[in-house]
Amino acid sequence: MTNQKTNSGQNPASFRDPSGFLFSRGGVLYRQVNRAYERDYSRLMESGLYEKLVKNSFLIPHVEVDQPAEQPDSFYKIIQPERAPFISYPYEWSFGQLKSAALATLTIQKRALKADMSLKDASAYNMQFVRGKATLIDTLSFEIYQEGQPWVAYKQFCQHFLAPLALMALRDVRLSQLLRVYIDGVPLDLASELLPTKTRLNFGLLTHIHIHAGAQKKYAGEEVKSRGGSMSRQAMTGLIESLESTIQKLDWTPRGTEWGNYYDITNYSDAAFEHKKELVGEWTKRLKPALTWDLGANNGAFSRVAGENSAFVVSFDIDPAAVEQNYRQMKHDKTENLLPLLLDLTNPSPAIGWANRERDSFGGRGPADLALALAVIHHLAISNNVPLPQLAEFFAETAKWLVIEFVPKQDSQVQKLLASRKDIFPNYTREGFESAFNEKFAIREAVEIRESERVLYLMERK
Amino acid sequence: MHFAPLPYLDPGSGSFLIQLAIAALLGLGIAFRASWTKIKGWFGIKSKPTEDDDESENE
Repeated sequence: MTNQKTNSGQNPASFRDPSGFLFSRGGVLYRQVNRAYERDYSRLMESGLYEKLVKNSFLIPHVEVDQPAEQPDSFYKIIQPERAPFISYPYEWSFGQLKSAALATLTIQKRALKADMSLKDASAYNMQFVRGKATLIDTLSFEIYQEGQPWVAYKQFCQHFLAPLALMALRDVRLSQLLRVYIDGVPLDLASELLPTKTRLNFGLLTHIHIHAGAQKKYAGEEVKSRGGSMSRQAMTGLIESLESTIQKLDWTPRGTEWGNYYDITNYSDAAFEHKKELVGEWTKRLKPALTWDLGANNGAFSRVAGENSAFVVSFDIDPAAVEQNYRQMKHDKTENLLPLLLDLTNPSPAIGWANRERDSFGGRGPADLALALAVIHHLAISNNVPLPQLAEFFAETAKWLVIEFVPKQDSQVQKLLASRKDIFPNYTREGFESAFNEKFAIREAVEIRESERVLYLMERK
Repeated sequence: MHFAPLPYLDPGSGSFLIQLAIAALLGLGIAFRASWTKIKGWFGIKSKPTEDDDESENE
């Protein structure tokens, strides 16, 4: 389920599973359930499993609708799922977010087993954050469980969840970015090689990653039915609980963060910080944006202010620690309209997967109604050398309305960036900034922030 | 053993076989836990429920 723009018809990320597929019609997202999936779908709906999972926020709700078939040959039913407010991908999640998605997947599998069903896939891309919770959005992921059968999604679960979580917790949190390269999850032989040797002493990681990787190599291409053995329900439960406890024990807590104490080390006075909050609050109240993107959100202080008057706020930051802090905070507060995500604005998420259309790019999921770019312009213009006219163009493609903070050269943060390099930015002045942004935007407000030399602008795309 | 119907994603031969081995071992643990609970029950000791109660909210 992505917001990816196609002329019409089948969603470009929804083609693998013969059970059905997503399509859009008249701007509405539907899912065709195929005849091949009729029995499984009926079991999901009639066993009470659907109702229970939806009630406890594990599964996206849907309604059956009376719409003509998208592909009549295979047609059984059309359902209209609730739309996730913003589609995000595992390489954009913090450690805690991936862990929540992993544990939710296992809980779903345990509850499915009680209803004599089982997950036939365990893809991280099937999980999305809805009302703050990791929620399964693929209604067709369930199949009727046949006692004796192993878990067909075991390999996928280990690649999509366990391997990256272990690497993030025990090697380096930045290894989540492997998911951007390996769309079907981190290959287990690679995970096994990258994990510290001591992880072989952890029973869960030893079996589910190291020995698992070895077995994959040893039995590659062999036909399984030639070998005996079946898996009891008890054994299946043991497997799921083992994955669960292995993941529960993995932890990553931000230390020595890049921005962790940012608000303490800037030349921001409390008055300046409060003034900025006031302005962001006032302007979002005026605009009431449906979708706000906070670009360079740090731990989301301003996202929360915007969230009071915006239906949904995506809170992007480059620092995994800031995103983790932000996620923990929103979980603690039970915030429902905020989504913290990891993003490097100088190299935003590309479109990836089959024909580069399975997972949408950062820009492809926009534009937003409002973008906040607070204390971020100097990083783009000076650290990354992006000329001001190109910045204006980028922001104009990103959102209709823009709240942007200009940080002048005399500001200590900019001085720091210029301390060890040549100042090749003669146009980086308030006048230069305004004239570059005037090309793409109409400046509606420009307010000097109290007790600082910074200026906060409200602009509307021309 | 025959694995039917065949899944639409390749579960991987090694992944299939290794989980049979791991799960057999872990299943023993579950069986042991169940019997232990029963034995404790004979002596009137109630163990606190560790299993997912099927009703709790997603966190």
